[in-house]
Amino acid sequence: MKRLVLYLLLIMSLVVFTACGTQQASPSKEPTKETPKETKSEKIKIALVLPSTMDDMAWSQSMYEGLKAVQEKMGKDKVDLAVSERLGNAVDAGAAIRQYASQGYDLIIAHGAQYQNVLKEIAPDFPKTSFAYGTGFQAGPNIFAYDPQAQEGGYLLGVLAAMMTKSGVVGVVGPVEAGDAVKFNYGFQQGVTKTKASVKVRVAYTGSFNDIVGAGEMAKVHMDAGADVLTGSSQQAVGAIRAVGERPGKYWLSTDMDQSKIAPNTVLAAQAYHWEKIVSKMIELRKQGTLGGQHLILSFSDGTLELKYNDKLADKIPKEAKDAVEKAKQQIISGQLKIELPKK
Amino acid sequence: MEHIIQQGLLVGVLATGVRLATPFLLAALGEMFAQRSGVFNLGIEGIMMMGAFFGFLVTFFTGNPYFGLGSSLIVGFLMGLLMALVSVTLKAEQGISGIGLYMFGWGLSGLLFRLYVGGITSIPGLGPLHLPVLSDIPHIGSILFNHNWIVYLAYLLVPVAWFVLFKTPWGLRVRAVGTTPEAADTLGVSVNAVRYQALIVGGVLAGLAGAYLTIGQANMYADNITAGRGFIAVALVYFGRWNPWGILAGSLLFSMADSFQLWVQVMGITFPYELAVVLPYVTTILALAVSVGRVWTPAALGRPFDRGSRG
Amino acid sequence: MTQAINHLEMAGITKRFPGVLANDDVTIEVQAGEVLALLGENGAGKTTLMNVLYGLYQPDSGEIRINKKPVHITSPRQAIELGIGMVHQHFMLVPTLTVAENVALGLVTSAPVLDLKVVSKKITEISSSYGLAVNPEAYVWQLSVGEQQRVEIVKAIFLGASLLVLDEPTAVLTPQEAAELLNLLKRMAEQGRPIVFISHKLNEVMAVSQRVTVLRDGRVVASVKTEDTSAQELARLMVGREMTPRRREGEARPGRTVLELRNVQAANDKGSLALRGISLEVRASEVLGIAGVSGNGQRELAEAISGLRKVTDGQVFIGEREVTNRTPDKMIASGLGYIPEDRLHVGTISSFAVWENLVLKDHHRRPYARSIFLQNGPIRSATASLVGSYGVKTPTLDTPTGRLSGGNIQRLILAREISRSPSVLLAAYPSRGLDVGATEYVHTKLLEARKTGTGVLLISEDLEEILNLSDRVAVLYEGKIMKTLPVSEANERILGLLMAGVA
Ligand SMILES: Nc1ncnc2c1ncn2[C@@H]1O[C@H](COP(=O)(O)OP(=O)(O)OP(=O)(O)O)[C@@H](O)[C@H]1O
Ligand SMILES: [Mg+2]
Repeated sequence: MKRLVLYLLLIMSLVVFTACGTQQASPSKEPTKETPKETKSEKIKIALVLPSTMDDMAWSQSMYEGLKAVQEKMGKDKVDLAVSERLGNAVDAGAAIRQYASQGYDLIIAHGAQYQNVLKEIAPDFPKTSFAYGTGFQAGPNIFAYDPQAQEGGYLLGVLAAMMTKSGVVGVVGPVEAGDAVKFNYGFQQGVTKTKASVKVRVAYTGSFNDIVGAGEMAKVHMDAGADVLTGSSQQAVGAIRAVGERPGKYWLSTDMDQSKIAPNTVLAAQAYHWEKIVSKMIELRKQGTLGGQHLILSFSDGTLELKYNDKLADKIPKEAKDAVEKAKQQIISGQLKIELPKK
Repeated sequence: MEHIIQQGLLVGVLATGVRLATPFLLAALGEMFAQRSGVFNLGIEGIMMMGAFFGFLVTFFTGNPYFGLGSSLIVGFLMGLLMALVSVTLKAEQGISGIGLYMFGWGLSGLLFRLYVGGITSIPGLGPLHLPVLSDIPHIGSILFNHNWIVYLAYLLVPVAWFVLFKTPWGLRVRAVGTTPEAADTLGVSVNAVRYQALIVGGVLAGLAGAYLTIGQANMYADNITAGRGFIAVALVYFGRWNPWGILAGSLLFSMADSFQLWVQVMGITFPYELAVVLPYVTTILALAVSVGRVWTPAALGRPFDRGSRG
Repeated sequence: MTQAINHLEMAGITKRFPGVLANDDVTIEVQAGEVLALLGENGAGKTTLMNVLYGLYQPDSGEIRINKKPVHITSPRQAIELGIGMVHQHFMLVPTLTVAENVALGLVTSAPVLDLKVVSKKITEISSSYGLAVNPEAYVWQLSVGEQQRVEIVKAIFLGASLLVLDEPTAVLTPQEAAELLNLLKRMAEQGRPIVFISHKLNEVMAVSQRVTVLRDGRVVASVKTEDTSAQELARLMVGREMTPRRREGEARPGRTVLELRNVQAANDKGSLALRGISLEVRASEVLGIAGVSGNGQRELAEAISGLRKVTDGQVFIGEREVTNRTPDKMIASGLGYIPEDRLHVGTISSFAVWENLVLKDHHRRPYARSIFLQNGPIRSATASLVGSYGVKTPTLDTPTGRLSGGNIQRLILAREISRSPSVLLAAYPSRGLDVGATEYVHTKLLEARKTGTGVLLISEDLEEILNLSDRVAVLYEGKIMKTLPVSEANERILGLLMAGVA
């Protein structure tokens, strides 16, 4: 009897868990039994594996929205979309990826640098399936690696931060010192110091991608220590934005996506990732018979990265600041400006 | 200039640390009652998540953080009751039930968030409480005494918990059923009822700890908001040797170390960040390791009570 | 005290446990001013019957009547409210709490705050009016068993007990303490309390009771007036045959030294010195008896030898090897067998099955284990034969040891310790709590061990036991050996003087 209830409780939690973890975003719920080859021409089945949740207002949500945009553009009946969330642990993710592959999904996107190795392991077993992950640059025969040049937007936001700070201190709320975050922070630091050498950039890491409370606390400490313009990446950053929004006269600069909704009077500008363009490119390549092997770059030069100002705060940014940012952007696009990256 | 910063650093570390300790203190004091009564509740993390979520949800809908707070307490109560049902009445293995409760809390809060909120949203939080004299002390006052009232409440609960545990009949019963339930039983104390009560007190405090995260600290909600704080609270109960003052010491040590590393990083003092982020854990473990003396544990911890089984 | 109990009757009580019929249509009766003695072998069902009375167990059938009115006792709370007080066979005290706290635990109060001062005051009153010395502020873990016993009685009186049940209260007491307790019981009975007294010691039963009910295998075999019977008759009723005390036979032919203590010192739980330089020697094939009133260092001595207590000075040798402050498993490996004083908590793991406890010390050795695997076949057949030959009453080999009656747990430990044929066997109060039949049996087994070359160190307060079994006797007083003498030179009077510290 008591065993029974215990199992019931466990099963209940598991049901709740999976109900929450996997969302069939397309109306057709059951994965079709047909082989991928036959359906390929008309319908493409895409699976997305996310480290956090698809509504995290950051890294994961930006990719999810990119996929939704693709689905919108190609037609709902043409794209079958499945999402698995909360798979920050690469081993758990591996199980989900394998499952999708054997269910006949055509393109499986594992959205994080940490999935590189699992994909390397799984991909050879499913030679007809395309896999993708990023941030990364090592592709495989049927693996795409996508690679946002986060340092470009970081640099531009750094220029803006240098022009906007009054206290002469800007703060970075970093997650874990790896991948995308490091590139972004490098760009940001260079952007600040090349614009105004006197401005201090203080980079700190919380040690977590998803601890919004911790990120909020770090932002508060940054502000207590004098910073008045802050930035930071990954989904934990939303906690920091909220904390900054609490204090008038302090600003936040976003990356991953436009996060101004969280604090409309605080977020000045954002580097937005246009994943839909990258996903469309992968679909196109696949149609032409290229299942992987490419290192796909997101950058300002092809418009896959974009700098968005918050309309609401447009008048708070002086014209010379915008001009300086625009100038830097043109230099980046033209290749005149090289941003240094950490050596491996 | 440097001098001011140095002074500011000390005050800053203290003020941040005092604030950071709040959720640990609340959750660990609650867990202390549960463990004192003989039940090891590993589900604190899940209760905190549910408390955090419902505090957020109700505030989100009503705009009033106090309604949110109230619902966190209710949810904490119910989660404590659920744990009691499974571990006390059904005598399920406590470690496993705790993990089940944690998964249940995480899963359900995530699901409900998706259903009823559907995206990151801000809510109004509890503002700082102005303390008549203390907050007005020049310089330090505005930093040290500028917290919301849950923070003060958490510290106030330390002597209160001590008093309840050692000076009231209920506290006596809790201590007895966690050590020698058979003896308590022969004195007409209902072992299971006391364990229910202790688990519910623990649940309510964990719910409050969760509410503090959403309406006292972050003013928003995101998946997995507790990020392991509940598990740390369980460890702090061991650190504190099941005593409120010990738990206060542990929570402060952990949080001060955390605050210190935050400030060190933010002030740009050269220090590898990898070491900085583990500093609170390392400090706490070291303190535990060097503190000598035989460790006392509630003798009946983890053991369901069954009258027929004798000693 | 809600209402004085003038008459109690338990009529036709039957209580069944899985595989055991513990009480089979048992009827007992006791009235105010009278001591009823309940007698019976280990496992006869005495404790079970009293637990039914106390609301801990529900009987399968039968009725309880107080003052001729039927009552339903469904919980200890209810029993307390009806005026029933019980001193349990295994003490029901919370060691980490003080005496006053232990007592206060049973109070039903709506007061939000504990008032221990009032409780302590009342405890002091009770303790002076009944001559039961207890310190309300002391922690229970600091108390000797005798003191704990007193706390139990004070607790029952404090909670308003009219009828008092004492389940083997004298098993753990020194002879002096036991005598005092018997006097107290007599006085309390004279004051008009009904008392139920359980004991295996027939002389006590004869001395204190007005009536005796004898149980065997869960059934009442006799209910007699004490004045109409004798100790011999009671023993026969209990066991079903005549008893003769066992004595060592043949001259001592001691061999090499198997255990030696040189100037051993150790502290007690309170931190003060309990062993003040003990030196002694046990040779193969002899029994060295340690006589003395308990609380004079017996517990510390046993624990120091078995590796459970730190030796602060001096040395312990088993055979040739020095084993001072070695861990208990090293002691076991060196050839030490140990029958501990507190058998429920130290000697066995009560949630483990009978067979598990039997192989506890050898489970990792052949034939019980090969490499890392337990060998079920050999274990089962070996444990089954031990259970048979030591007469352990248990429904199955898989029964949790905690469910056995007190005497059967003792048999189980004996079976394990003696069958390992240790070079030295440390037996602390080995017959405590055993019925006469079982006591006889234990003595036989200890003497058998002596015959086969084991050196036995026997700690006991029972002078008859000491004199019957030992080859030499050492008297322990305040942590020191007063004197060691051959048994031929010892008698109860000499030992009694030595035990009182009069050389
Ligand atoms: N809770 C229980 N579950 C199963 N069996 C039990 C339980 N309590 C007692 N028994 C069994 O009931 C029988 C009677 O046990 P009880 O403790 O009443 O004996 P006793 O007369 O008090 O013996 P002793 O003199 O050794 O204390 C024993 O066989 C015992 O194993
Ligand atoms: Mg008994």
